[in-house]
Amino acid sequence: MMLSSIAMLASEEPNSFWLVSDLNEVIWGTLSFLVVAFFLVKFGKAPTLKFLSGRIAGIKATLDEAEQARIAAETDRDSIKAALADSDTEAAKIIERAHADAEQLGNDTTIRAARDAQGVTERAAADLVSTRQQTESDLAGELSRLSLGAAERVVESSLDEATQQRLIQSYIDQVGSQN
Amino acid sequence: MSDTRITAYADAAFAIAQAEGDLAEVEDELFRLGRVLESNDELRSALTDQHVPVSRRQQIIEDLLAGKATQTTLAIVSMIVGAGRAADLVKIANELVQRTASNSGQAVAEVRSAVALTDAQLTELTAALKARTNMDILVKNIVDPSVMGGLVTQIGDSVLDGTVRTRLNQLRDAF
Repeated sequence: MMLSSIAMLASEEPNSFWLVSDLNEVIWGTLSFLVVAFFLVKFGKAPTLKFLSGRIAGIKATLDEAEQARIAAETDRDSIKAALADSDTEAAKIIERAHADAEQLGNDTTIRAARDAQGVTERAAADLVSTRQQTESDLAGELSRLSLGAAERVVESSLDEATQQRLIQSYIDQVGSQN
Repeated sequence: MSDTRITAYADAAFAIAQAEGDLAEVEDELFRLGRVLESNDELRSALTDQHVPVSRRQQIIEDLLAGKATQTTLAIVSMIVGAGRAADLVKIANELVQRTASNSGQAVAEVRSAVALTDAQLTELTAALKARTNMDILVKNIVDPSVMGGLVTQIGDSVLDGTVRTRLNQLRDAF
């Protein structure tokens, strides 16, 4: 404010000198300035320094936080990179495992199909043998039935009264002889 | 029917026949009736059908036995049918035969043949069975065409089988 007053005064009365024409004003202005400067230094220095120190501390804290954030961000970045690398590896493993599983499944299916085919073949062979045996047995039974039927008819036709009497007498004789 | 009830009916028939003096005839006629019932499903069904009135069933028996059996036999069978025990008539007849035989110290021999045995054959067979079993034997001849030829004799649980049917069956089993 003092400087502006001095400048205003100097501008009111322009001359050929760069200083104001009135020396008293210069002196008093200087003294006023010094007084003001003294008070400013006396009472304003400490708060200003304190303010500046606080400001510096704040900026430093902010810088530290930024540094911490940067470090954390770098850590996260590394983790993400690692995770991405792991995911690539895991994906490769999964694909590899899928290939292996598919191959194993194919092999198992082939083996099972072969085994099933063999089982079907064996069962068919067994069924064939069983059917043949059953057919032979049925044929033998049928032959037996037919033979016995024929035999029965022959026997029936030969069982006349005389034969019946002979059979009865033979039975009685046999019972009597077994005493 | 329980064995006790069958025995009771047989005992009653035995007592009635003995009292009437027709025991041998009644026993023989009941035995033969039993065999007829065994081999004739239609007659057995008619006598045991609960839908047929008892009087009608008794009439069937009277028609069947009229002139072929004694009055005592007819009365006994009519009584059994009237009591609704026709289904057990065979068992009662068999029990009566056993009762009669045991009363005279005899064992019953059921002899099945395709043709009826002559008296001479019955006598000879009775003697042969007596000698074989050391028991007095009462032979009951049953004509059964299914035996085809020969004889089969059953005394209690013992069976002496000499029938053509059995020989043929053995031949069938041997195949």
